[in-house]
Amino acid sequence: MRPFDLALLAAVAWLAAASTAVAHSASDAYLTLTADAARTAGKITLHGQWDIALRDLDFVLKLDDDGDGRLTWGEVRHHQAAIERYAYRYLSLGDGPGNACAIKPDRQLIDDHADGAYAALFFEAVCPGPPHKLMLHYSLFFAIDPSHRGIFVLQSGGNVATALLSPANTAVELKP
Amino acid sequence: MNLMRRCAIVGLAWLVLCTAAASAPTDLAPAAPFRAPYLPARDDEVLQEVPSTTDPAVAGMQRLRAALDTAPRSLPAAKQLADAYVDYSRQIGDAHYAGYAEAVIAPWVQASPPAAAALVTQATILQYRHQFNDARVLLQHALKMDPRNAQAWLTLATLDMVQGDYKTASQDCTQVTNTAGVELGLGCSGNLRSYIGQARQSLAILHQVEATVAAAPAATQAWVQGLLAESAERLGDWPQAESHYRNALKLLPQDNFLLVAYADFLLDRDRPREVLPLLAEHTQSDTAFLRIALAEQALQSDQLQRYTWIMAARFEALRLRGSEYFGREESRFALHLQHDPQTALDLALRNWQLQRAPWDARVVLEAALAAKQPQAALPVLEFLDQTKLEDPLLQPLARDLRAELVGSGR
Repeated sequence: MRPFDLALLAAVAWLAAASTAVAHSASDAYLTLTADAARTAGKITLHGQWDIALRDLDFVLKLDDDGDGRLTWGEVRHHQAAIERYAYRYLSLGDGPGNACAIKPDRQLIDDHADGAYAALFFEAVCPGPPHKLMLHYSLFFAIDPSHRGIFVLQSGGNVATALLSPANTAVELKP
Repeated sequence: MNLMRRCAIVGLAWLVLCTAAASAPTDLAPAAPFRAPYLPARDDEVLQEVPSTTDPAVAGMQRLRAALDTAPRSLPAAKQLADAYVDYSRQIGDAHYAGYAEAVIAPWVQASPPAAAALVTQATILQYRHQFNDARVLLQHALKMDPRNAQAWLTLATLDMVQGDYKTASQDCTQVTNTAGVELGLGCSGNLRSYIGQARQSLAILHQVEATVAAAPAATQAWVQGLLAESAERLGDWPQAESHYRNALKLLPQDNFLLVAYADFLLDRDRPREVLPLLAEHTQSDTAFLRIALAEQALQSDQLQRYTWIMAARFEALRLRGSEYFGREESRFALHLQHDPQTALDLALRNWQLQRAPWDARVVLEAALAAKQPQAALPVLEFLDQTKLEDPLLQPLARDLRAELVGSGR
């Protein structure tokens, strides 16, 4: 067999296998906003928790310093500032141009999900109020992984609403 | 803030109002192994396994990435990297890398006109995600531009086999022979024959291919061994099937697809104890995790509830992201671990619309029997009659269902 054929044959290998090789779920992040009922000086505060898979963060930020395939808390802690800088670049909230909510990063913890450990980024978004509408823009990982999904949950009073953020749906409008 | 209180989100696409969809299944909550977000106590606490840079496959991908970074407009460089990502994704059973591949190849898929080679890679990614119809459209598009694209014909052949369209697959295999040569054409038709009542011929042909690939890369040889194992299973030749599975795993010890197929073999042979060490390092893969849970069940483990909870949470995470390509696995989960034959049957039938490999037939038959709805299995029984698929595990199920149908006067 010529090498060309072998390369093709190798391609068949995983094609054939693909028929049964549904494997791990793809990349997800979980963004939860909780509306604060109280207002201060006409401003609205939203409390956020954003869970981002450590595996995804490792792919873009190389968190595993010693490259041994075992990501430790020490390694994650060492990169917390970089994680924060990276993530918040891809999230914004606001009431149109010039009226963005101020996102104030708070602590970072670890949150266990069924498919692994996530960095849990806590933040506050302080928005000028009262808004006509509030837009959430989300584009985390879309440029490097179009199959990433942001699972957005809004909690307000006893109510919960969810939306799925994807490259085809990068914005959610919260409307009075 | 009224908007929040009224819970009115106007999503620009998909949305669900006022649901608790984000929560994990609450009926299983008592066994929840999870805790609230926490601050790990020690710096050396391992939080997550990630691809190690000492893994040659990871190093290889880094080299290909560097090559693409220096020549960002090079389609061959992009295609090489994307193919390596997809391959790795399959090997470790982690769909993240299929997503990375998609991003790498995107500029050439979205170009006008798109590059045929990029469409083929994109089609394999879609196929990996079981978006079969979208994959077929791209392959047909690629073949219109480049009718002699052997990889496109191969992918199409695989797609048609997965979906049970064996007549078209046979034509695809002819095109594979025309465009890629006799050996690959033989591999294609050898594989095909295992689904149409010609498993013995399939084995003979694949043994021939086995001899020609003796000096080929491990992945190629492992592929042939995997096909041989499958054909031997069609004939109920368990020792031969096992020997081919072991050969394949000797060549590719970490391959998720092979590990899971061999785990299924062991579960069917009542050897669950061997499944646990086999898959111990692969709990991140959902397909592997399901087999571990099934083995724990067979062993009457006291950990079973925990495994079931985690598996349910993983399926829930898939559902949340709008993914539905786990029908076969989820049906087995519903039937054997949640003891819910009706849900298992619904999932199996929906999956049957998408794919028609022997395992897809089996989940329908098993669920229809358990749910006492033999008539629901009729499309699969007809398919088995038409294709003459040999499978000693399917035949008794089909026989029982036919007996029930006769008994109920249908």
